[in-house]
Amino acid sequence: MSGIAALIVDDSSVMRKIVERALRQAGISLGEVFEASSGIEALKLLGQTRVDLILSDINMPNMDGLEFLRQLRAQNLAADVPVVMITTESSEEHVRDAIAAGAQGYIRKPFTPDQVKDRILPLFGGA
Amino acid sequence: MTLVRRAPAQIDVFARCLDEAVEEVFHLMTGVHCLPVSECPVEEREMISAVIGLAGALSGICVLCSGEKVALRMAEILTGIATPRLNDTVKDAIGEICNMIAGAWKGRLPSLSSECMLSTPTIISGTNYQIHNQRPDFRIERFYSFNGNSFAFTVLSESVE
Repeated sequence: MSGIAALIVDDSSVMRKIVERALRQAGISLGEVFEASSGIEALKLLGQTRVDLILSDINMPNMDGLEFLRQLRAQNLAADVPVVMITTESSEEHVRDAIAAGAQGYIRKPFTPDQVKDRILPLFGGA
Repeated sequence: MTLVRRAPAQIDVFARCLDEAVEEVFHLMTGVHCLPVSECPVEEREMISAVIGLAGALSGICVLCSGEKVALRMAEILTGIATPRLNDTVKDAIGEICNMIAGAWKGRLPSLSSECMLSTPTIISGTNYQIHNQRPDFRIERFYSFNGNSFAFTVLSESVE
């Protein structure tokens, strides 16, 4: 697995950098990393750019991560790209909602690089 | 720990969960332990506050208060980048720490986990302010310390369903 182009969607620039750092610390080989501070910005970016992985927060202003995911699927953008939610919301109900909206994985904040690796690697055929 | 109005067993559980949440967030995200302390110097808990709103089964706020020096240290251990002064990155970092603590706290409480929503963080800078609410239900104020840096974290509720 090499050169994964990732899009990180979070209204916090600090958290976007932390997620990128965790991906690298998890040993995931990243290509270009794109950032979006909102679901709206992410949808616009995905209309023009191809990525291999999307990681998105849920609690964001204007368009939350679940609505972003629903819009992504409805607009048939990045149809074959796995989406992993990274969020403070940890209830089973939230996980179910995310999966129902089309997410392939769920990482709860706070997280360790190992937890990121465990969620991401299987999406790309890794153990 | 300062409580207003009542101190039932449930409030004790809330407080213990808060201690666990703070330690979990700091340990997982920074590798640093952050444990309860009995007091916090005033100058170390007034300058910048991050506020997360709670709505749903519990209506209230979570507030992380720290001095500027402590906020800079907090942001540094979270981001790995030393910042000489309070800037947007530091404020963002404080907001995210408050957000994660609030989420980890409510995630430990079955009655709140899926029934209480969190707002996005609001950052307030300034000193010598007090928080008032019209229908106080409970108030938990705890002090914590990491690497000799202390701050305050408050959960203030107006109602619990």
